[in-house]
Amino acid sequence: MERNCLNKNGCHFYGAAFVAAFLLVLISCSKSDPESPYKPAPYLIEIPFGFPTNLNIPSDNPMTVEGVELGRYLFYDGRLSGRTHPDSLMSCASCHRQERSFEAGIDHPDFEDGHPHGLSGQKTHHVMLPLVNLVWNHNGYGWNGFLYPGNPNDKLQNIEDFVRLAVVAKDEIDGDTSRVVNLLQSIPGYPELFRKAFGSENITFNNIERAIAQFIRTLISANSKFDKYMQGKVQLSQSELNGYVLFTTEEGADCFHCHGGFGNPLFTTNLFYNNGKDTVYTDPMDRYMVTKDPMDRGAFKATTLRNIEVQGPFMHDGRFKTIEEVIVFYSHHLKWSPEVDPLMHHVNKGGVQLLPFEKEDLLNFIRTLRDDEFLSNPAFGKPDKFPDEQ
Amino acid sequence: MKSPVSSVTRPDRYRDQVGFDKNYGFMKEFRIFTLLLIVTILGYSSCKTTKEETEDQYGKIRIHFEHRVDNQSLVTDQMIYENAAGNKYLVNEIQYFISDVTLYKNGNTHLLDAWDDIHYVDTDIESTRTFAIRDEIPLGHYDKISFTFGINEVKNQSLMFVNPPESLMFWPELLGGGYHYMKLNGKWLDTLDQISPFNFHLGIGQIYYSFPDSISSYVQNYFEVELVDSGFELQIGETLDVTMVMNVENWFKSPHIYDHNEWGGDIMQKQDAMRLGCENGWNVFTIEK
Repeated sequence: MERNCLNKNGCHFYGAAFVAAFLLVLISCSKSDPESPYKPAPYLIEIPFGFPTNLNIPSDNPMTVEGVELGRYLFYDGRLSGRTHPDSLMSCASCHRQERSFEAGIDHPDFEDGHPHGLSGQKTHHVMLPLVNLVWNHNGYGWNGFLYPGNPNDKLQNIEDFVRLAVVAKDEIDGDTSRVVNLLQSIPGYPELFRKAFGSENITFNNIERAIAQFIRTLISANSKFDKYMQGKVQLSQSELNGYVLFTTEEGADCFHCHGGFGNPLFTTNLFYNNGKDTVYTDPMDRYMVTKDPMDRGAFKATTLRNIEVQGPFMHDGRFKTIEEVIVFYSHHLKWSPEVDPLMHHVNKGGVQLLPFEKEDLLNFIRTLRDDEFLSNPAFGKPDKFPDEQ
Repeated sequence: MKSPVSSVTRPDRYRDQVGFDKNYGFMKEFRIFTLLLIVTILGYSSCKTTKEETEDQYGKIRIHFEHRVDNQSLVTDQMIYENAAGNKYLVNEIQYFISDVTLYKNGNTHLLDAWDDIHYVDTDIESTRTFAIRDEIPLGHYDKISFTFGINEVKNQSLMFVNPPESLMFWPELLGGGYHYMKLNGKWLDTLDQISPFNFHLGIGQIYYSFPDSISSYVQNYFEVELVDSGFELQIGETLDVTMVMNVENWFKSPHIYDHNEWGGDIMQKQDAMRLGCENGWNVFTIEK
């Protein structure tokens, strides 16, 4: 050490001065924010067995423990509508119910046949998609994927943007972003949570979007019976195994090309297919709306089959009320059109022609994708108290 | 590697050994330090020159993938093609793996990009249609290029790709696991004049005791492609761009005439059909430099 100094005393002097200066800086920093400085803790996502390692987390909205906590409050707080009258409260959770894998479900008390409508009473154009494992979706959000990373329209790129659309849409919350911001700003507890999550008590709608998006990205379902089977922890019943074979064979039900399996445990490709439901395409919000490729007419997202047992109604327009009806459709009622996806290679036979016992086996396999831990995990549920009730 | 402790104690030992005045020692050490600095800079410059010279002894290869039908660039989703069996058909998309690209030189082989030896190509994803091989390749004349179409049984392991798009190529466990070698999806005009979808999917085949419930063994259908007229000369510092062309019509042409009317829309559980497809694969690829 001495070799770097002209003499010992000098060295000690400079060393002491440096330490003193360092301490002064530290004291100075802490004085500006004596309670707790803005230092959010990173929220780490553990990759489940077999799941993708590439996560869709925007660089300008890293996951933090504080951001997720705030997002959970906002997700469930009916004042996200910007209103306080009990009849005018609406939040994400008003429609996205945990026990229904964060979609409405066929039994939603406020919606006829599971088709949501907003505060104004106007029905949404399509039925809902579940909020599950979206942190692995890089291929666009919504039934036609109109919101996607890399979209030239930078207001239509990711979950953050979906939050804004949901708040202002006439057929959803029908709110006003300024009003939402002002209301939350006035609620005790929220400014402090925003400061912890984003460094400022001045609430912005951008930070509301960011917090809710962070929470949604934590909604991971990866502990179903099939997940345990993949890891060798449990065995499937004979009927479930038979269904698994049907699911993953072309001569069976041939579900796997679009809905995944052992090698794609998301149970969706997150891609868009015309699956042979119709012959004439009148829905202006199909995949064609996004790509302008005529072959994408009538194409919609292949939904994940995780927790599909507790969801419904099914298809973009909710035409099927039960999974049994969906299996019958794929088995016997496919319709040919020039736009039907080539993966629907059974279309000219009307479908995969499953026998009754095969339909039952397939259904039993699909039920192994239900993840009860996800559906009841308190970390994803409604907080016991909102910030102003603490 | 020396521990931090030893590096701190060393100067004290040095001073004790020589035992002279501190300031004199400082000046002397300063001169030594300066000398060492000059030597280091000179040494580094020397090393750099050597490294540049070494780099000059190598070149690089970049493979571009093109897809053609009857010598014309592939046009998707239009029923404008006719195969050797007389099937009118269209192509929607092609997705496939090539692996173990190998160069041949004087009877010796040189496996390229051993750390990234499986490459995915997708007609819908432009970035996959270039394979920039990372290897620095010794200069000189090479006799030919070969590669494996698909993935060999040692490397073709389930869950080795967990991210899309590669993960979406998974081949079901029951049917042999691993990954599709290729998905060639399209439609053809069948004998009833109906436009029918076909999924010309190649991968591990199965031999059945009783179809479709009982499988007795699996067949590894991957095959090696030796590219005709693929010799080349690699020059100093050059990145050689080569174009690998998939001539789609040849999948259905030679030595076997492949008829969609005979094999239908799906073949993953029809080893006889996959065998024909793979045996036809020998001349599907050509190379242009």
